[in-house]
Amino acid sequence: MRAKVLVLAATLSVLMTVPVLAHHSFGSEYDEKKPLKFENVTVTKLEWTNPHARFYVDVKDAKGVVTNWNFELASPNVLKRNGWTKNTLKEGDKVTVMGTAAKDGARLGHAQTVIGADGKRLFAGSNTADGN
Amino acid sequence: MKNKLTGGITTVAALAAALFLLQAPADSQAPAGKAPDAKAPAKGGGKGKGKARPTGPTPRTADGKVDFSGIWNGGGPVGDVGQGLIAGEEISLTPWGKKIMDSRQSKDDPEANCLPTGIPRIAPYPWRVLQTSTHIFYLFEGNIHSFRQIFIDGRKHQADPDPTWYGDSIGSWDGDTLVVDTIGFNDKFWFDFRGHPHSEQLHTIERIARPDLGTLDIETQIIDPVAYTKPFKIKFQATLRPGEELMEYICQENQQDAHHLVGPAGLP
Repeated sequence: MRAKVLVLAATLSVLMTVPVLAHHSFGSEYDEKKPLKFENVTVTKLEWTNPHARFYVDVKDAKGVVTNWNFELASPNVLKRNGWTKNTLKEGDKVTVMGTAAKDGARLGHAQTVIGADGKRLFAGSNTADGN
Repeated sequence: MKNKLTGGITTVAALAAALFLLQAPADSQAPAGKAPDAKAPAKGGGKGKGKARPTGPTPRTADGKVDFSGIWNGGGPVGDVGQGLIAGEEISLTPWGKKIMDSRQSKDDPEANCLPTGIPRIAPYPWRVLQTSTHIFYLFEGNIHSFRQIFIDGRKHQADPDPTWYGDSIGSWDGDTLVVDTIGFNDKFWFDFRGHPHSEQLHTIERIARPDLGTLDIETQIIDPVAYTKPFKIKFQATLRPGEELMEYICQENQQDAHHLVGPAGLP
């Protein structure tokens, strides 16, 4: 029971986070009622670009079908001000990502928490209200 | 290698959604107004990575004027211009303004499409003030790498300015407050994510003060008889970010969001 409570609390702490304000409406693009969590997935590409850095991961479903998902991060500038470099995430890295799914059904998510293979939790552009 | 896709934890998601809606606006858009009908701005929010506001006396130029120079964050609306309403003020749309606002779709927000914010909107990115005895420049990191210029050399408005995103701005001093009068706007930008509109008749009067080292108060009167039945005043506060430098931010480089924005304008 205690473990379940802790898991619930941890989940809530992730979902309670406030997206960093961006150049677009968060609520019009993403559905906070659709949480995503992909564990131990492989980064296939990083785009260190504006207005958002993006990384793509291959995700295998229960039937073994692999799909590629696009995750939006904050802008590179916001990430750099929070300790990232262009090499923080690289193709081939294993990560766990938690975030929010796009409203329109695209394989697109807003990353709120990224955990590297070493267990280190990376600022993803969503766990501070003043990320600039 | 086992991948897990977890979704649809209904109870948790519903609670999270409720909590999400209760979260504070970011410090970077902190309103300074106290309108009873505006959403009450809670302080802080998030995990508290925001930096403390620097303290100290108001800087001055060699000729004794208030010096607004520095890197700033915030100072205008992002999600909802109404969050900055000054007590007793209200936003009253004309039928034309209401029709425009009701028709707006989130995907069409100029800022989401990497176009400038106009005035009074501010992008959630740092901006620098450069001040000389004759000009003040705002250098924006985002929403596009652009600038705004305010003439403080005593000139008058252009007789027939072309409509532009930042208009024709002239400033004069009222004690330690810079009063910036701007006309000559285009009608393309929105005031916020909600899509508050304006026409080319928009006229803004900003009263800009730096009461201490780390604070920039920007009170803006919005005058536009085409879109609003009466003028209204808003006030937002910017925070100094010492030690920061502007970085490159070319919004058009890889803009994918506008294609995925759904529904009417209005969500934060």
